Amino acid sequence: MNGKKRKNSGGIGGFFRGIGTGCANIVKIFAEGDWMTKVSFLIMGFGCFVRKAWLRGIAFLAVEIAYITYMVTFGWKYLKDIGTLGVVESVKQRGGKIIYGDNSFFILLFGIVSIILTILFIVVWVINVHEQKNEEEILKKGKRMPYVSEDFATLLDKHFDKTLLTIPVLGVFIFTVVPIIFMICVAFTNYDKNHQSPANLFTWVGFENFAKLLNFGSGGFGSTFLSVLGWTLIWAFFATFLNYFLGMGVAILINKKGIKFKKMWRTILVLTIAVPQFVSLLYIYKMFTADGLVNSYLIAWGIIEKGNEIPFWTNPTLARIMIIVVNLWIGIPYLMLVATGILMNIPDDLYEAARIDGANSWQMFKSITLPYMLFVTGPYLLTSFTGNINNFNVIFLLTQGKPLSNSLAENAGRTDLLVTWLYKMTVQDTNYRMAAVLGILVFAVVAIISLVVYNMLPSVKDEEGFQ
Amino acid sequence: MRKTNKLLATSLVAAMAVSAFAGCSKSGDTTTTTTAGGSSSNTTTAAPVETTEAPASYGEGTITIWVAENVVDFTKEYAQKFINSNEAYKGYTVDVQPVGEGEAASNMITDVQSGADIYGFAQDQLARLVSASAIASLSEADQAWVEAQNDAGAAAAACVGDWAYAYPMTSDNGYFLYYDKSVVTDASTLEGILKQCEDAGKNFYMEVNGGWYNTAFFFGTGCELTYESDTDGNFTKCNVNYASDNGVVAFKEIIDTVASKAFQNGSSVSNATNLAAIVDGTWDANAAKEVFGDNYACAKLPTFTGSDGNTYQMSGFGGFKLLGVKPQEDDLKLAMCNLLAQYLTSEEVQLARYEAVGWGPSNKAAQTSEAVKADEALAALAEQLAFTIPQGQYPDGYWSRATALVDDVITGVITQSTSDSDLMGYLESFQNDCISYAE
Amino acid sequence: MSNNSVRVASMKRKQTTGNIVAYIVLIVISIIWLTPFVCLVLQSFISRAEFMSTSEVYLIPKTWSLDNYAYLFSKDCNFVRWYINTLVIATFVSIIQTAIVLCVSYALSRMRFAGRTFLMKFWLILGMFPGFLTMICLYFILREMGLTQAGAVPGLILVGTASSGMGYYVCKGFFDTIPKALDEAARIDGASRARIFAIITLPMAKPIVIYTALVAFMAPWCDYVFASYVAFGYSKSYNVAVGLQNWVWTNDYQGFFTRFCAGGLLVAIPVTILFMALQKYYVEGVTGGAVKG
Repeated sequence: MNGKKRKNSGGIGGFFRGIGTGCANIVKIFAEGDWMTKVSFLIMGFGCFVRKAWLRGIAFLAVEIAYITYMVTFGWKYLKDIGTLGVVESVKQRGGKIIYGDNSFFILLFGIVSIILTILFIVVWVINVHEQKNEEEILKKGKRMPYVSEDFATLLDKHFDKTLLTIPVLGVFIFTVVPIIFMICVAFTNYDKNHQSPANLFTWVGFENFAKLLNFGSGGFGSTFLSVLGWTLIWAFFATFLNYFLGMGVAILINKKGIKFKKMWRTILVLTIAVPQFVSLLYIYKMFTADGLVNSYLIAWGIIEKGNEIPFWTNPTLARIMIIVVNLWIGIPYLMLVATGILMNIPDDLYEAARIDGANSWQMFKSITLPYMLFVTGPYLLTSFTGNINNFNVIFLLTQGKPLSNSLAENAGRTDLLVTWLYKMTVQDTNYRMAAVLGILVFAVVAIISLVVYNMLPSVKDEEGFQ
Repeated sequence: MRKTNKLLATSLVAAMAVSAFAGCSKSGDTTTTTTAGGSSSNTTTAAPVETTEAPASYGEGTITIWVAENVVDFTKEYAQKFINSNEAYKGYTVDVQPVGEGEAASNMITDVQSGADIYGFAQDQLARLVSASAIASLSEADQAWVEAQNDAGAAAAACVGDWAYAYPMTSDNGYFLYYDKSVVTDASTLEGILKQCEDAGKNFYMEVNGGWYNTAFFFGTGCELTYESDTDGNFTKCNVNYASDNGVVAFKEIIDTVASKAFQNGSSVSNATNLAAIVDGTWDANAAKEVFGDNYACAKLPTFTGSDGNTYQMSGFGGFKLLGVKPQEDDLKLAMCNLLAQYLTSEEVQLARYEAVGWGPSNKAAQTSEAVKADEALAALAEQLAFTIPQGQYPDGYWSRATALVDDVITGVITQSTSDSDLMGYLESFQNDCISYAE
Repeated sequence: MSNNSVRVASMKRKQTTGNIVAYIVLIVISIIWLTPFVCLVLQSFISRAEFMSTSEVYLIPKTWSLDNYAYLFSKDCNFVRWYINTLVIATFVSIIQTAIVLCVSYALSRMRFAGRTFLMKFWLILGMFPGFLTMICLYFILREMGLTQAGAVPGLILVGTASSGMGYYVCKGFFDTIPKALDEAARIDGASRARIFAIITLPMAKPIVIYTALVAFMAPWCDYVFASYVAFGYSKSYNVAVGLQNWVWTNDYQGFFTRFCAGGLLVAIPVTILFMALQKYYVEGVTGGAVKG
């Protein structure tokens, strides 16, 4: 899949043209090839065996056998039903006996796996065909085929990348790519609590779920989606930039000339990075409840009156502020570390020159430190912004998205981010169809922001910049 | 979590529950063909293992049981006792895991096959479990046993349509008032309780943003909110009249309660601060005794004077805790699970469970035990239950929607100065959403 | 001249006042940062009995008690088991993830092969999907492999490491800064790629190896969502986050809050010590990561 795409960078048209030429090439190889090559079209690696390139022959043949075995014994029975996602209902008898029918979940999952494996098999088959041609040419030129040991040796040298990347790519493929494709498909099905495998079937419904999420009428999630999206963006903005500037401020403060115990200050701050968040954030949540430690002590000290407890988590605006503030508590130390490292890289003579020109510290910060920091950390700010859009822990451990409201649909709360809403849909409501749609939209939001901002970054535009 | 709790039923409950609930076998034992997943699936009424002769062995394997944390040891002990009692059972081992009732139901729905073979849950989850086929229907014989042994309310709560699906374990899941009698000397009216708490600078707790608790107000003023479901556990109809004058009265009372200086939202004694009174259930009886000490007292819920000048008695739900068996493909294991579940909800074990952890029996014989009758909290509950409605089935959406309704009060979107017509607007949209869950 | 010395003196004075302000700010910040931890430690010494017998919240225990800690290690409680689970998961994830990240980073930094840019872009796009999206699918994949419930620990290790190749940015950035001339020289001497990786690159990558391992080690301690999904009601397979969080959120555990504090403290201590000890490398890693983006 990658091979073809890369060579023809001319978009979709180029892609299909590439496939076209690829097919023509294969036909040509068949027409011009010797008998060994021709047999290899059916029995992969056959030519390699005859030409005594054992390792390659075994590899090709093994792929073919494995693929056919997989499809015959396992893959086909799922793949054949992918159009309907199963039709045989489970039979439920009085007394609790159940005979399970088709399992829509596995039909979809293994159907997708089978399709992907088929594509990969075709790729390997094409490689196999080209391999035959190469071998023919090598022999024609009177050279010998590489020994098995030489083949192996290249895996540690010329083809070392393949050795290094096989397992990581495979891992990403099975545990990220396949599930993502699966969930994208779920967005087009009615997989929810009433259509749950194995006892019930689910099936394709087209764009129905998208229509529901973007429907602004009654029963639709449109206005809720916009409201949650709005807060998600506000949150990501503050969580990124407040942390950034305050973290930088603290770093400058600690690194100030004449400040002692620099290490101690830093150590105190980084405690919040070290302590697992489920401990620290849950504790903080408890501290600030209406009847928690903070309110109780404020009452005991006579600062507030009983009955006027500060609604840290129940007032939506205050809850949002609290979340951002608590996030500072976690985020500032991190940024402080980053900023400390970068500040040390700023050449001292820049400051020296400024000082001679009579600049005060604010001016120096404004015209040297800040631009340098922004320039160097531009891409980091972007990833941290998109990371905050998907920042689950802080919200979930503090408010779980609460409080809810009449104006929000489907269990969404005032402090819910898109990602915590997604979590609620998945875990609490088992509404996988809508969760999948929401997930796709989160992806779209992140992708659009990344694309737009990335091209505006100074360090991308001007690679030389400060160097 | 809401409604995952336990209460006690007494003969009083049973009597009123009968009148309120149409027992599930009202249409007799006619053979019904149900539809599963919306289209035709063959359902037979044949009970495969209900032969009179017990097999020599029920096979072997592990039976996983999910129950609340505080009865894990208890359940382990009695399940083991049961297995040891008969040579035919000895192929099985029992694995009891602490999984709370709310989580148990969600897990069973997420993945039936990995779920427990036997699990405890609160009755309002039943329809969900049935529609996801995460619970086995009882054979006719077992259903007859359930009806004979348990109070009518509990037996009815185990049914969806005409079939029973679970074994009642406790009669019931309801709430009443615990209070500190040194602070609250007169617990007869809500306004009075709030006033006394305010004066003492102490807190009154009620989880008004819970759909389980706030029915105390709405049902109290005569509003209705019930669902009807078909044999497959799908909701077919919602009977609701919250968007009415009575609904507004109840809603205003909630707003007034929340506005009290003494009010705190919550329903857990151990997490409460500065506690003087709390609306809670029997599961917190021991915790309440520890907190209040000699001043421990409990009573039915108070009355309140509505904005229309009338006095209303706070109402609410009376519910039950059930033990369910997962549908199995293996007949023998299914039979074994049913036998074990039956034993775990039998008179003997229900009484033992009451003695061990204070869960009130649904078994009629167990309810007549002297110890059960003498229980103080149970007496308060019994009194309260006269004013409640037996909890039927509610769709998932209802609970979060009800929380949303009252969260707006707690967050200050809706206040005492909100006009009646706006309140009606909120109730109308709430009512429409409730109706939409039954489509 | 005298004018100049006055200026120096005034600058000194200015610096001193500046420093005093800075100290005050730092002290205030430190108090804010430490308060929750101090409270947590104090409350962990309030026994459950004391906690249940009163409905007040306070910090200083009326009687200092180690009951909570005793409970955690008693046989009524699976805490030790959860702790070991988490430790095992964290250790394996740390080792395997580091190995994978190093492999990927080296390949992407030093080698040019067909599909390299495609792979990098593809992974970047994959990373934009929210992680929770695929949770249910991953759960069933693991279940089919028998790696849920009783097998949850290896299951979590597998999921925790499988996709770690996508987190190569920081490490690749570091490799990019190691001069290529070293490799070239070694190649001329006939060393293979694998040998160069092992003999030249790896020893120079010590800070980034430690950074990667440390970050990977710390993540599993916080994994609540997926861990509770995979354990699926099998309490022996919980990790500390799942086990302890239940004590706070579910009503089944009456009066477990101070026990949670004690458990949380026991979790926090070793992780914190480890972090502090390796802080230097962590700083290097995050700084490098931020600069490279």
